[in-house]
Amino acid sequence: MGKSNVSNNIRKLRFNHDEMTQQELAKQVGVTRQTIIAMEQGKYSPSLDLAFRIAHIFAVPLEEVFSYEPED
Amino acid sequence: MTFQQKNITVSLASFSLILAFFLVRVFQMIQNDTFIATNVFRLWGITIVMAIVTTIIGTILTHIVSAIIEAVRTQEEPDVEDIEDERDQIIDLKGTRVTYMVFSLGSLLAMLTFVFGQPPLVMFTALIFSGLVAQIIGDATRMYIYRRGF
Repeated sequence: MGKSNVSNNIRKLRFNHDEMTQQELAKQVGVTRQTIIAMEQGKYSPSLDLAFRIAHIFAVPLEEVFSYEPED
Repeated sequence: MTFQQKNITVSLASFSLILAFFLVRVFQMIQNDTFIATNVFRLWGITIVMAIVTTIIGTILTHIVSAIIEAVRTQEEPDVEDIEDERDQIIDLKGTRVTYMVFSLGSLLAMLTFVFGQPPLVMFTALIFSGLVAQIIGDATRMYIYRRGF
């Protein structure tokens, strides 16, 4: 379960959205703050549903939030 | 620490105490030569009731105490994060899988005691022992996954 191949720009996007806190984002997408922390640290890959919700909050396409890096 | 983690900690502590109580009572029965069906089945009943009651009371108390601590800390209306999101559900499933695996193994060992000529009481005692141990190991697994990050 360590680091996943899916990376994200959630931290950067939060910062660009009036320095939105992890708690605020968590509340808006309906998860706990711990889940946001785990995602930002790359320790948890969200479901497709949650990924779309996060992208919707930041009003950006999914690819701008998440990217996949295949293993060599 | 999230509400789920606090709940698991309380469950871990209460099931460890129940296991300790169960083992002490079994050893007392063996020492006093009172390891008989009536006493063993009474202990079964007490253990199961204790497990159900402590789980319910533990969850309620965790919620109340968390809210009080949060209110004192922030001096505002408490906002306890008691939702179970998708990550919590996955961790819970992983813990449940471990619980079932341990309990299945314990049940098999319990049946084997019967096969190898032990009285049925030993099998029943081993069965509930494996149930308690399985719950503790399952909770420990959940806690470990939360701590390690997932």
